Amino acid sequence: MTGIDLLVAALVALLIGTLLTAVTAHSRTLCGYVAFAAMFAATLFVVQLAFEVLLGGPIVADEPLFTVPYFHAKLKFQVNELSIIFMLITVVLGSCATLFSIRYMLVYTQYRLARYYPILLLFFASILALLATKNMLLFLGLWEIMALTSWLLVAFETEDPEASQSALIYFIVSHVATGLMIFALMIIYPYTEPHSFELADLREGLRSMIETQPGLVGLAVALFVTAAATKAGILPFGFWLPHAHPVAPSPFSAVLSGCMVKMGVYRCLLVFMQLLPISSFSVVSGTIVAVLGTISIVVGTLTAMRQSDSKRLLAFSTIGQMGYIWLAIGVGVAFMPTNPYISVLALTASLFHTINHAGFKSLLFLNAGAALYRTGTRDMEKAGGLIQIMPITGATAIIGALSISGVPGFSGFTSKWLIVESSIVGGWHMPLMVFLGLIAIFVSAATLATLIKFIGGIFLGRLQVGPEVERREVPPTMVIAQVVLALFCIIFGLLPMYAIRYMYTAVAGSLPPDFATPSFSTMFGESMFNMTLGTEAAPSTGAWDPIVILLVFAGFVLLAVLIARLGGGARRTVPVWLCGEHHEFAEYRYPSHSFMRPFTRLVEWMYPPIGLKPLAVPRALLIRLGIEPLPESPPRDGGGGPVSDADATPEPSREPAGVSE
Amino acid sequence: MTAVINIAMALLVAPLFGGWIRKYIRARFHSRQGPPVLQPFYDIFKLLGKEDLRSTPSAILDFGPPAVLAAMLTAALLTPMGHPAPLGEYGDLIVFVHMITIAVVATILVGLATPSPFAAVGSAREIMMHLVVEPTLIIALVTVAVKARSVMLGDMADHVLMFGWTPSIVISILALLASLQAQMGKLPFDIAEADQEVMGGPFVEISGPPLALFHWAQFAKQMVYTSLLVAIFFPWGAEQPFPINLLIHLLKVFAVFVISGLIDVLSPRIRIEQAMFYFVIVIAMAIAGLGLAVAGY
Repeated sequence: MTGIDLLVAALVALLIGTLLTAVTAHSRTLCGYVAFAAMFAATLFVVQLAFEVLLGGPIVADEPLFTVPYFHAKLKFQVNELSIIFMLITVVLGSCATLFSIRYMLVYTQYRLARYYPILLLFFASILALLATKNMLLFLGLWEIMALTSWLLVAFETEDPEASQSALIYFIVSHVATGLMIFALMIIYPYTEPHSFELADLREGLRSMIETQPGLVGLAVALFVTAAATKAGILPFGFWLPHAHPVAPSPFSAVLSGCMVKMGVYRCLLVFMQLLPISSFSVVSGTIVAVLGTISIVVGTLTAMRQSDSKRLLAFSTIGQMGYIWLAIGVGVAFMPTNPYISVLALTASLFHTINHAGFKSLLFLNAGAALYRTGTRDMEKAGGLIQIMPITGATAIIGALSISGVPGFSGFTSKWLIVESSIVGGWHMPLMVFLGLIAIFVSAATLATLIKFIGGIFLGRLQVGPEVERREVPPTMVIAQVVLALFCIIFGLLPMYAIRYMYTAVAGSLPPDFATPSFSTMFGESMFNMTLGTEAAPSTGAWDPIVILLVFAGFVLLAVLIARLGGGARRTVPVWLCGEHHEFAEYRYPSHSFMRPFTRLVEWMYPPIGLKPLAVPRALLIRLGIEPLPESPPRDGGGGPVSDADATPEPSREPAGVSE
Repeated sequence: MTAVINIAMALLVAPLFGGWIRKYIRARFHSRQGPPVLQPFYDIFKLLGKEDLRSTPSAILDFGPPAVLAAMLTAALLTPMGHPAPLGEYGDLIVFVHMITIAVVATILVGLATPSPFAAVGSAREIMMHLVVEPTLIIALVTVAVKARSVMLGDMADHVLMFGWTPSIVISILALLASLQAQMGKLPFDIAEADQEVMGGPFVEISGPPLALFHWAQFAKQMVYTSLLVAIFFPWGAEQPFPINLLIHLLKVFAVFVISGLIDVLSPRIRIEQAMFYFVIVIAMAIAGLGLAVAGY
């Protein structure tokens, strides 16, 4: 089997899996394994396809699968380097998430799993199909299947009113976004010649409109970008994200954050690289995209810092990380007409951060899910020290946290480095960009603070769990899923060049043929192990050699360990030192809502104007839909509650340590 | 060769400059005689021979302290010290800044790995200080990078050497000097360690050899930071042949350490929210400098 047949085979595997899981759903374990088998088969097919596409170039199907008669819309699969990268993200995350689900979903004894696995597999099938479609009409249809299936999965816990309400918000928002996309297509459609929804025809239509109807072009691009930003969780449109992501079952939260929001990125890249002809519109819209991205970086991360619900923290941090990707896309698009070098650099960076974020954010959601599986709570106040009973989960969580905070040697660093370098280099021509880049570096430190709160709250410190919690690692299937994702974090951190080369190929292959793409070796240097950024004129403006720097670092760690052994002092276990007094742990515990309180108070002024309030769904509508309205509760992002400054004197916890219920 | 010099500066010279100068100045202000020159090494060696007391079994406590020292030594290899940085071709200013971040992360993780409330408070303060101090450093360095049109530390030093100071660079220098004490972990900004309040903060549960590594890393950090400051913003003398440029560099670093020691002795410790308010102003100043640089001044 070769070429497009592999994609069809993957789709067929997923659809057969959908049927089989629906049939076997009465056996809760079996249908999990069936789902994983289907997903894994699809993964193998897509990986083989990826080899063909990345080494041999894009593949187009000979015959359309079917045709929509009136619109002449042909479903003709084609896979290029850009879509195969998103397909790889989808199947790898899909496999890890389904593997994780097998044991995780057994917790939900009150729900039928026929409402989970078949829909999950259908969701992945729709994503794979939409990535291979260049016809916007069918793209919309598949997009809609993706939206509906993901909505059903977000609403999985029907007995939880919060989940139902969040799912409703998500449903409304994602359909408004789809509406915007339809509207944008309707604007362009009359100008296409012949009338069609093929991407290439729409592009020609837009090209003819730029001269005659610039206002309409601007409107269409704005609608497309708004729709993509809504999916990607970019503020101010992505407010649904922190509601929908935490309430979904944890493996699906991982898929939402790792895979589905990336479809917004794909959508945005598609609009700017293949739909909108390079023109002055690129500069304006690129700048706007970069600014929106930076707003998301700041607001998302700083809001994440204040959460005490582990999955909500991760969801807000997703907004922040998507902001990085959009900042890079914005820089890339803004420089398309003037400076191909910066443009390709930034687009490559955005794509690389996309796959890195898919890896580490899904990993962190799975870690949070594993902690939830063991302790039954998402509240970081009630967990702690879990690394002592779940060493592998804890270790992978630390790897994920180091990756997302951009610590050298882990995956997030290289992509953030590229994003920052491209904005600084861009700043030489467009001063705004250098400030956006600086904000990105600053927030990278804030991300670190946020994730330290996450792992500090859940995994480090003193073990505090109730007697009913089993004191052992989560089951092997869940461990494997986490370890696989952690390995990706490390591999992309140590050997980024192999990945970057394919990202570069994807960007270069998707840009229009007349685009003056600089060669790979000019941009990133000759070697496959280090990066020397530069142009023909200035061959070396930045450098990062992970192997040399990290080997040196490792050598120094060894040296330091040896120095510490020199004296030959013994090791002894002692109780925690509390200035000679005796206290119960509950009396001196440092509560997670007090963590970094002086800093969050310092940036307090930023919150009111941008406060992410939940969308107020009218009570009448909720009651009509049979959803129990949530009681009036204090703001959940920790802003309004009575929080004391526990910096100097840790406030004694009011409740006994450990999980109370 | 240059690598050996840089490591020697960070491991051997730094304790003298960072430890002894401060202790000596403090003693003179108290009308005491002051410790012998090698006192910092006596302290380190004594700690290396002591017992390692642990309150929590955790691998983080095994690898955290060595990682902090290793990160600072790697950063030392990325720093020009009168001569070009030995690893300057392998990492630029962003990499340099993130090597310092590794040290901060490792310190904080060590603090949080123990159940001690003092360590938790100290770690939280450490990261908050990092959040406000790091931007100053980055903005000041990026200001020069914008002027030099390169993110490599070597190119930036060359640019200042050739074209001298411009208003934007002067402002970055002021911002860096304003954050000097915080970067050195000295008064009035030793808020995270604050011996009298939180018993050394993240280090409260650390004893013996790991504590020696932490102290050593702190000295190395002071040397790295001071070296970077003088190598990029006061590069004159770097064009001289080998032993002279190193001597000039040492003299400049010595001067900075003396100034820093004086401030340390004469200052009280301020509270964390005061410090953050102060750094907001410093950051605003640095951003103004960057604005000037972007505008071409």
